[in-house]
Amino acid sequence: MRRIESLIDTNAADYKANYAAMSERLKEFHARQHAARFERPQRDIDRLERQNKLGVRERLKLLLDPGTPFLEFSTLAACREYDGTVPGAAVVTGIGIVQGREVAIHANDASVKGGAWYPHTVKKVVRLLDVALENRLPVVHICDSAGGFLPLQHGVFPDRYLGGRVFRNQVKLSQANIPQIAVVGGHCTAGGAYVPTLSDYNIIIEGTGAIFLGGPPLVKAATGEEVGVQELGGAVMHTSVSGTGDYRAATEQHAFSLAREIVSQWKRTPKTIIETASYEEPYYDPKELYGIIPKDRKTQFDMREVLARIVDGSRFHEYQPDYGTTMICGYAHIWGYKVGILANNGVLFNDSSLKAAHFIQLCNQNRTPLVFFQNITGYMVGREYEERGIAKDGAKMLMAQGGSVVPKFTVIANASYGAGNYGMCGRAWDARTLFMWPQAEIGVMGADQAANTMADVKIRQLQREGKELSEEEIAAIRDPVLEKFRRDVEAYTSTSELWDDGILDPADTRNALGMSISASLNAPIDDPHYGIFRL
Amino acid sequence: MQRIFQIDGEETECWLGHDGSRFVLNTPNGTVACQLDPTGLPGGYTLRAKGVVRELRLAVGPEATFVHMNGRTYEVGRVDPAERLAGSDGGTGDDRLVAPMPGVVVSVAVKPGDTVEEGQPLLVIESMKLETTLTAPRDGVVAEMPFAEGDSFGLKDILAQLAPEEE
Repeated sequence: MRRIESLIDTNAADYKANYAAMSERLKEFHARQHAARFERPQRDIDRLERQNKLGVRERLKLLLDPGTPFLEFSTLAACREYDGTVPGAAVVTGIGIVQGREVAIHANDASVKGGAWYPHTVKKVVRLLDVALENRLPVVHICDSAGGFLPLQHGVFPDRYLGGRVFRNQVKLSQANIPQIAVVGGHCTAGGAYVPTLSDYNIIIEGTGAIFLGGPPLVKAATGEEVGVQELGGAVMHTSVSGTGDYRAATEQHAFSLAREIVSQWKRTPKTIIETASYEEPYYDPKELYGIIPKDRKTQFDMREVLARIVDGSRFHEYQPDYGTTMICGYAHIWGYKVGILANNGVLFNDSSLKAAHFIQLCNQNRTPLVFFQNITGYMVGREYEERGIAKDGAKMLMAQGGSVVPKFTVIANASYGAGNYGMCGRAWDARTLFMWPQAEIGVMGADQAANTMADVKIRQLQREGKELSEEEIAAIRDPVLEKFRRDVEAYTSTSELWDDGILDPADTRNALGMSISASLNAPIDDPHYGIFRL
Repeated sequence: MQRIFQIDGEETECWLGHDGSRFVLNTPNGTVACQLDPTGLPGGYTLRAKGVVRELRLAVGPEATFVHMNGRTYEVGRVDPAERLAGSDGGTGDDRLVAPMPGVVVSVAVKPGDTVEEGQPLLVIESMKLETTLTAPRDGVVAEMPFAEGDSFGLKDILAQLAPEEE
């Protein structure tokens, strides 16, 4: 495979301006991420200390193998909800290494609202358990939750992908022979009681951990019975009387060393074998991505320059380099794993859609995982293209992409608009992981287009009523819509709503993809099969 | 053509194989059986070929391998045959810039009569929410710029024309 020859001039004014703009964005991003992870009101820190409990980050440190990476998902979930008072949606999820094996981790963060389940908490946990199911990853649950946040119970409890789905996914994991362990380091009340009880193994920490369907206040209200936490659902009772708990741990340290011992005894399933090459760092510095990504989202850039800073040795074997040139397809290695890459270099036309569909089939036939780099403003519109069957060719691309059996991974590198998001494996299309860059935007259309469309509708409606609008009146209609849309398409909105698995510093993309690909190989790859291609 | 090596700047074709017991170097002039054993010194090897025994030192870099033998250092570079044989990619550029899609001209950077270099921006177009800079396909002189800022154009319209090259 040949090295991509970069044409980037790192002394150019454009490059420097882009670099400065991205550095500024990243400063904000890293600060927000740090705050979501570590900054808490003093009273919450004091309460944990009083309860003699460790914080969730310290618990992770006890659980994970030292010096190994932890791929954390959706650190900024719920950052635009609940007035920003529920950082990370009160839960930490991710893929980490325990006793040398990859596990999915679901850990309540009791320093946020006592670890209560908000609507976004449930969404984040369900997503993590979906990741575990898709990639056949064992799960470690670290339970410490006040239970569902009652004022928002409609957003937590009843629907198909809400609270019940957490437990349903636990059942499906068990049924699929994927082991789970729960460490109970706080209260597991009501529904929460099913997390440890549906796990194959559970450990309760003495003094702090407890499991019950109804806590002491609820019991008193319901039946008048007065009973303390420990007698009702403490470690001693459950491990010696009810059999609800398996192991009693004297301390947090004891609990996590037991958990590690149990994980190490699980049967190891061999990983799926795909083509690999020896690991090689990119030839070009990944930090140069900062200068390549234009500060103005509308400016075009060559995705090969991006790939050169992500793949092993900056080496890329391009498929059909002279056909359908707005769609770059080709093979590369990431962390030594062979992947097929699809990256946008402009709008999707008929030829670029067909090229993508063909390349996706090649990768499925060859069991090569797919990586999508999105910078897509859509499929081309207009009479010429409709006559050539752009919708039909787009459908072929969707059929090939959606029907893929190989693991797929998506990076929203810049624009993600309209059906282009679908073709390029957006959230609905089962990418094993999907990450966003901080300046990227996602929406049915661009903010300007959306605001103009909505303002036009309103203006025409008023004109029908015989009202002529002045420039100021038009601006008064258009500007608030524009402002709202601009915010709605931002990466922070996407990540707050869990439309992605997190925002990435572009320079970290390579490692996030490497870990994602490695984790995906815990699941087998099926034989290729598709639906009907509209030819 | 499986492998191309450059030894001190001169290209040689060869392929290293194994016949089950020893290495065989296949060259256009026939095959040579050879054996390379480490001596224990850093980068030190003993080479046996055609009944000759030589002590040598190897230093392997990402672009080339250096062989020190008989008091001389040879630089052996590996050339990617797919790249070497691809020829001059693209050759001479076209005289015309043809619209890749319908759109609007955002800005025009040059006027007829201007001398331009290959890769120099000629105009910026916008289509489908994306601004694309179109650059000169080769060195030359601008003959025509048919569209002005704000003009709409259709698919395959000519957006810029260079004067024919004088041979």
